[in-house]
Amino acid sequence: MRDKIEAALKRSRADYTEIRIEEREATTVAYRGKDLETASAVIDAGGIVRCLCKDRGWGIATFNDRGDLLTKVEQAYQCARVAQSEEPIELAPIPVSEDRIAVTLEHDFRGTTMAGKKALAEEYNSILLGHSDRIVDTQCGYNDTFSRVFFANSEGTFIEEERPMITLWVMVITRDGDNVQTATETRSGQKGFDFVQGREEMAQAVAQRAVDLLSAETVVGGQYPVVLNQMLAGVFIHEAFGHLSESDFVYENPKAQEMMVLGRRFGQDILTVLDDGSLPGLRGTHKYDDEGTPTGRTDLIKNGVLVGRLHSRETAAKMGEKPTGNARATGYRYPPIVRMTNTAIEGGETSFEDMIQDIELGIYACDMYGGQTALENFSFSSAYAYMIRDGQIAEMVKDVILAGNLFTTLMNIDAIGNDFEWMQAGGTCGKGQGGLPVTFGAPHIRIQNVVIGGK
Amino acid sequence: MDILKQLSTEAEQVEVVNVQSESTTVGFEANRLKKSQVEETRGVAVRVVKNGRLGFAASSDEAAAEKLVSNALESAAYGDEIPIAFPAPQSAPKVTTFDQAITELSVPRMVEIGQEIIDVICLVEPDALVNVELERGVQHLSLRNQAGSNVSFRRSPLSISFEVNRIKGDDVLFMFDTLGTTVWEDDYLAFARRLGEKLELAKRSATIQSGRMPVLFAPTGALVLGLPLMLGLNGKNVYTRISPMVGKIGEKLFDDKITIVDDPTLDGKFGSASYDHEGVAHRRNVLVEQGVLKGFLYDLKTAAQTSASSVESSGVESTGNGSRSLFSPPAPSPTNLMFGAGETPLAEIIAGIDEGLLVENALGLGQGNVISGAFSNSLSLAFKIEKGEIVGRVKDVSIAGNVYDLLQDVAAVSRETEWVYRIFSLPYILLPDVNVVAKE
Repeated sequence: MRDKIEAALKRSRADYTEIRIEEREATTVAYRGKDLETASAVIDAGGIVRCLCKDRGWGIATFNDRGDLLTKVEQAYQCARVAQSEEPIELAPIPVSEDRIAVTLEHDFRGTTMAGKKALAEEYNSILLGHSDRIVDTQCGYNDTFSRVFFANSEGTFIEEERPMITLWVMVITRDGDNVQTATETRSGQKGFDFVQGREEMAQAVAQRAVDLLSAETVVGGQYPVVLNQMLAGVFIHEAFGHLSESDFVYENPKAQEMMVLGRRFGQDILTVLDDGSLPGLRGTHKYDDEGTPTGRTDLIKNGVLVGRLHSRETAAKMGEKPTGNARATGYRYPPIVRMTNTAIEGGETSFEDMIQDIELGIYACDMYGGQTALENFSFSSAYAYMIRDGQIAEMVKDVILAGNLFTTLMNIDAIGNDFEWMQAGGTCGKGQGGLPVTFGAPHIRIQNVVIGGK
Repeated sequence: MDILKQLSTEAEQVEVVNVQSESTTVGFEANRLKKSQVEETRGVAVRVVKNGRLGFAASSDEAAAEKLVSNALESAAYGDEIPIAFPAPQSAPKVTTFDQAITELSVPRMVEIGQEIIDVICLVEPDALVNVELERGVQHLSLRNQAGSNVSFRRSPLSISFEVNRIKGDDVLFMFDTLGTTVWEDDYLAFARRLGEKLELAKRSATIQSGRMPVLFAPTGALVLGLPLMLGLNGKNVYTRISPMVGKIGEKLFDDKITIVDDPTLDGKFGSASYDHEGVAHRRNVLVEQGVLKGFLYDLKTAAQTSASSVESSGVESTGNGSRSLFSPPAPSPTNLMFGAGETPLAEIIAGIDEGLLVENALGLGQGNVISGAFSNSLSLAFKIEKGEIVGRVKDVSIAGNVYDLLQDVAAVSRETEWVYRIFSLPYILLPDVNVVAKE
């Protein structure tokens, strides 16, 4: 494989060429209710060539047929010739790397049989099904994926990397007349089969939460002080701020650059936000990004002030900043674009008890269904929530959707908890390319004046 | 190796689907041509029924045919018993899904079209930054099964996706949509002009107070109402009994201005074809007629499961809505989903609103407890209507409600309809009393 790749790179007429080949096998066992939806495996192999003609632009060829890389390189080159960039496109320099990253998992899931994987999913599924007669639907699934990725570029970088991922998900739907409620939980990481074993308590907790939500009242819409749990705070920072830190949003856009000026105050002194793709074992971690740039910690907000952003080689060059190792692609069908890896609000000083103590009427919002941003507007839903009354956690409420303007909301974060955690959830970020593995971390945080949609 | 032949000796039923496609894409970013891309895809997906158990496997690696066969058999060994029957050959309507004109679109011509779209938008809003992506290609799908079905068809899809960003200080406007067709449309700029009209309107600002009020959903915004219903009409959600419409065929659930049809037989539309992805002939399915629930969308498996478990009072068959991508087995999916046009001209609807909201684009579609019919969305583009006129754009506004309540009383549905997000044909829908939350 290496010889073929290097031969094709040599023949390219572009200013810069890279080839990424991926060979992937994935197994999924998924239950829906008592039915087994699937216990199946897929084989997916393919590649992508990217060519850059500096005075024109990018050309891309993606393919399943890996037999003729020379033709694919030529096709990508012809595509690059069509592009019409107004200014020459530069790539910020990175070290030339030669590396082979093999994975050692203590309980490598490739050694587990289909029977074993099915038995695991079946066991958790029966916990869900047996929990309550108000449970009308469940989903319980297992997935493992093992990829071998070859990345090489015309600068001499050659990286071969093994990428494992294992995921467990459970979802419960309860029904009481027309009242239908959902609770979900996922666990995922670059880990072995043991990571998904011993999760019986998690399955029970999800089932119970779905039952509890049936008797929860819909929250009354309005403005409230809101305390977010670690999971929801992590989603919030990813959705509401993280995407604005992705420089492909900013770099072509002088007005957006005015909005995201380094040195501008975004939050109070207590707020620090970072992204780090190099932390071991986390879902968004890789030693190199998909352009061969080494990953690492990038501070985005430090003590309330914007100090950094996330880059690919192109956005870094355009903005005169350093590449940060955030060029990532969701598989070989896509070119790398600026994406988050593991994003976090750094832990602070305030205990959870102190955070809720002063709240006469507020909301404690937990976990999430999902979120979305359109630039300054964000919207995300918490999976479940509780009212806070006179400094105490009170009754459970549902349909809590937090929406608003990013800038005012970040400034309204007035307390950061001392209980930081990295999430091990199966979060995927769907920025135009489908789901890319990411994760987030945070402590509890408190935000004043949040608009909550409701009844 | 002929996979169908080989597996037919080992399993009672076999289905082999080959997909192959090529496409070319040009992409503009921030008004400038940024990239062009060529894509080639090929793969094989297999289903088998062995000892009554259903299995699935797929591969995009030509060299892995043997592994594909053993994966399929292993999958069936652990699969559930499903009373599914792959269809025998059946006749199907002739539907146009291929247009040479699309496949012959040269890259320079695609670049030209992209530039025309950007010019239309920037004429109205010079500060707009537009991302446009044009993709055209050819897709071949062939399906064979042990019952003798041998179906193959090709499509020439053309998609135009765009995203408009306009930033003035901290004021950000964002909108997006996608056009899809398999037959060349001469007036391809129509949607860009419509977008330009919305941008013109957005130049003025207005404020709105929280409260309950009439809300007019434009076609792009009406998806907020359509999405929960799509989930409710999906055979999968009927079989699992989580659809709120289970057991209600024949009942009047909505205002009689609501008619919903799924129609894959329309020439040239993005979701159209003669057969679905299981070899079942396509047909026009009426789902809701003047507020009365008429039917759901099924594929082979969900129809078989629903019939076997008596969720509905009588047995059901596939409605020809089995849809798949290479690595997933078929599942029910709408093809071209259409809400029926109404009787009232749009101008008249707007003129009749004393104080209300016009919803163009919502954020967070699909979040929350959508299957229950609930929606709660902040709005990325919405306008205030005052005394029969659109007076300006409102920001920091969100709406919430439940479609099963709100669609029982529909004030008006427009005569005008638009195709949005490739496969949805929607009119303007006026609901008289919706909860609107505005930030003070």
